[in-house]
Amino acid sequence: MIETTAAPFPTIRVRPWLGVLAIGSSAIATFMALVWAPTDAVQGDVYRILYVHVPLAWLAYLAFVVVFIASLGWLWTKRPWFDALAVASAEIGVLFTGMFIVAGSIWAKPTWGVWWTWDPRLVTTAVMFMMYVGYLLLRSLSTDFSQRATRAAVLGVIAVIDIPIVHLSVLWMNSLHQLPTVMRAGGSPALDAAMGVTLLVSVIAFTLVYFAFLAERMAVELERQRRILEARA
Amino acid sequence: MSALDRALLVAARELAAERRHPDGFVAALTFTGLLVLMESLALGPGQARQPGVASALYWIAILFAATLVAGRSFDRELEDDAIDAILVLDGGREALYAGKLVAISVVLAIVALAAAVLSLLLLDLEVALAGHVVLVGILGVLALPPVIVLATLLALRVRARVALVPILSFPILIPQLVACTQGAAAALTGDAAAALGWAGILAAFALVYGVLGLTIVPAAIE
Repeated sequence: MIETTAAPFPTIRVRPWLGVLAIGSSAIATFMALVWAPTDAVQGDVYRILYVHVPLAWLAYLAFVVVFIASLGWLWTKRPWFDALAVASAEIGVLFTGMFIVAGSIWAKPTWGVWWTWDPRLVTTAVMFMMYVGYLLLRSLSTDFSQRATRAAVLGVIAVIDIPIVHLSVLWMNSLHQLPTVMRAGGSPALDAAMGVTLLVSVIAFTLVYFAFLAERMAVELERQRRILEARA
Repeated sequence: MSALDRALLVAARELAAERRHPDGFVAALTFTGLLVLMESLALGPGQARQPGVASALYWIAILFAATLVAGRSFDRELEDDAIDAILVLDGGREALYAGKLVAISVVLAIVALAAAVLSLLLLDLEVALAGHVVLVGILGVLALPPVIVLATLLALRVRARVALVPILSFPILIPQLVACTQGAAAALTGDAAAALGWAGILAAFALVYGVLGLTIVPAAIE
């Protein structure tokens, strides 16, 4: 039995503020990344793409972990709110993963000399991207609301297995990609303090952008669900 | 009736249907043979005979064959709505998954055996460790179907199912495909330790996805 959507999304009240915060923090992060952060001794200014690439990677992980949690929530409770959260996060995750791959490719050209190489991190990321494209495809091709949500939730639970594989692939296999710089076991981040602060601000800014997108997309999805459930009733 | 009995009943019914009308098996066998032949011709016999290349061509063909066998198996269930009768039974969902898994693995094993003979003859391959090749082959055949059956169930009664099943299952199956290819290549070249290592990985994948499928399939079917 599918219940109608409960109280329309608690974040609706904070939605405008999320957008303002996302824009403000993005402006600060952009200034810090382009002006305030020092130039890298080895790579020069090229390294500044780090302030986009790493936050995008973090958001890809975050978005797909949210899909996993929302999928479990749907399977457990069958509340449509969880399905709206899953689809919203999956779409944003696919967008950010695509941008993550493109940003990595742009960084790879001047540093590695190639746009793409068969490196474990790159390949596993591309695989993760395809998995979630498949997830969205499964959703778009299913017609019944409940079946679509359930099947997508099952796939959302299975696909999360790829996230640790992507992150740890550089440790498990010989990789051209550098080892984890920030989220590494047994040590502080291998990064200059000013660079570290800039990276932290960038990650916060991108995370706020993610939540702003999520709130907007969920509002659209919940409205869509409401119409479907009304039509069914 | 225990869960195992129910699963074996579904598997026996599936194999009986396949024996009576072996259209899925024949299609998979023909397709696999054709794929091995075409890939070998496209690359040229010199390159296709290299153990790594020959193994990759063979396992990609088997992967496609597995999707064909699974697709045909579920088509049969849907044609006369037999699947609904199984699903309403107590424990029917688990039995459906486990039974299909057993039956599809058996059919795939026969296809894989025939394709292996074809590859060995066509490419005149030298086999250094026959026992290891068989071990990797058996475990490869067991490691692929759990994900493919799960993907087929997820795409059941969905538009464009034929395209959707590979899109859903192949990214998940990449580690298994690499293990199959590397394990078979190692066995062909005489690297026993590497072949056994890859075989172990395949066994782990077969177990993990088999258990995951059994756990999650009841939730996936409405």
